[in-house]
Amino acid sequence: MLEIQSARKVFYKGQADEKIALDGLSLKLATGEFAVVIGSNGAGKSSMLNAISGALPLDVGKVLINGDDVTDMPVHKRAARLARVFQDPMKGTAASMTVAENMLLADLRSTRRRLRRGLNAKRLEQYRERLSLLGLGLENRLDTRVELLSGGQRQSLSLIMAVGGDPELLLLDEHTAALDPRTADIVMQATVRAVDALKLTTLMVTHNMQHAVDFGHSVIMLDAGKLRLEISGEEKTTITVPDLIGHFAVKTDRMMLAS
Amino acid sequence: MMDLIQTISSSFVSLIPVTLAQSLILAFVVLGIMIPFRTLNFPDLTSEGAFPLGGCVCGVLLAGGASPLTAIGVALVAGFLAGCCTAFIHLRFRIHTLLAGILMMTMLYSINLRIMGKSNLSVFGAPTVFDWAPFTQPGFPASKIVVAGIIGLVVFLLLDLFFKTEKGTAIRAVGANPDMAEAQGINVWVATIGGVGLASAFSATGGALMVQSQGFADVNMGLGILINGLAALMIGEAIVGKQTVVRQLAAPFVGAVIYYQLVSFCLAAGMPPPDLKLATGLFVLAMLALPSLRRSRGPAQARETIRE
Repeated sequence: MLEIQSARKVFYKGQADEKIALDGLSLKLATGEFAVVIGSNGAGKSSMLNAISGALPLDVGKVLINGDDVTDMPVHKRAARLARVFQDPMKGTAASMTVAENMLLADLRSTRRRLRRGLNAKRLEQYRERLSLLGLGLENRLDTRVELLSGGQRQSLSLIMAVGGDPELLLLDEHTAALDPRTADIVMQATVRAVDALKLTTLMVTHNMQHAVDFGHSVIMLDAGKLRLEISGEEKTTITVPDLIGHFAVKTDRMMLAS
Repeated sequence: MMDLIQTISSSFVSLIPVTLAQSLILAFVVLGIMIPFRTLNFPDLTSEGAFPLGGCVCGVLLAGGASPLTAIGVALVAGFLAGCCTAFIHLRFRIHTLLAGILMMTMLYSINLRIMGKSNLSVFGAPTVFDWAPFTQPGFPASKIVVAGIIGLVVFLLLDLFFKTEKGTAIRAVGANPDMAEAQGINVWVATIGGVGLASAFSATGGALMVQSQGFADVNMGLGILINGLAALMIGEAIVGKQTVVRQLAAPFVGAVIYYQLVSFCLAAGMPPPDLKLATGLFVLAMLALPSLRRSRGPAQARETIRE
């Protein structure tokens, strides 16, 4: 489904503050697989998601989605195949537009936009139905501008927008990190429901080790732009939070030795 | 005292029809300023060059015997291309939108002179679209009010329909959140170039109508049009608001009508015409400063309305 082949990306190349974001990263994700990505700050998690979505052009390496090489495809063309929820609720929605208009924008992600009325009765009915699944009352606020919603409501809307239209690949970039615990829980539950129901191939970045243990078919740990650890199958079902933190500790020790 | 008020009001009232005709034509320029500024978040100065461009193109064609409609059509296309250039300069070379607009309007000045071959061209007596006004005598303000009003109404209704289509919604999304728009599969380049082009096409249309109305074209006819248009837009938005597509689209028309009547009133009340630009500038400054003054306590974040 998704395949990253020895991706390399260096920021500020040749300058004093040169930073290697991705260092020959390779990764494979099967269709329908839900993988959780962990790693410390600067490990390359966001760079990897940006490389997949097209926002970050790679120096070396390839990105394949369903066997098609999308390495040179611009962001707006890749959007037909993948959907993304950002950490910042402000980033994933158009603030000055209404809930319904935002839903429309996401709905047409993979189709050609035409010169016909966008919000018709049939679509509004669909959007109302999809939003009601959240249980946040958003279905009654279709004409509300998104800037008037709370962060949690905006993020929930982003999620519904992302999973609608059945994307081939769903990218979740710490999408509950900016929310309060209760709202984070609502959004996380909605995520799991949608991913399960639609069998979406998903890559979820998180700093929450409990989430990494509780959700997903596999855990991927990045370190210094490389794939450090992959836990899947039987091992994934038995892993605990201390186990995962242990892997971080090993890394810290090594860093201390190196310094 | 009463005498003074009477003279002021009588000279103001006698000017109302002429001013109304003029403001309905200039509403197209205000529209051309509003579209990039509000729907694309692309503060654009091209209109200062696109307005005389439309006028010069129209003037040359009328002088050459073309029909007034053809002249407007060609002016519209010329304006569209000018707007596309500004947007392209901004996107391709990452030059600030304002600087891209200044570059374009400076270059357009030479182009306008080239088109006309001289700085001033009289087309008095040539046929105009205002000759076709129903129920009115050609040459009088009423005919201009009717024709400019009809064209304005049609443009308003078409734009209202357009911005609610799938394509129109996409263009608005680019202005609201370009990163999100791109992630939803919208080609930001196409939307921006098309949108700014469309806006400049309206500015050029305003120029073409103005030339047909006043009977001559002049390369300097755009001088200060931008700040006038901005002032009109601010007034319009203060009156009808900008929360919905309909209100945002109505604001340029309402604003233009009110603004030019205000100017006319100031002139009738004895304000020296040279002071007009200073007064307009101070007015726009006050309108832009208002939100930061209301917030009070400490300076405003320096990206209130003009931002890249």
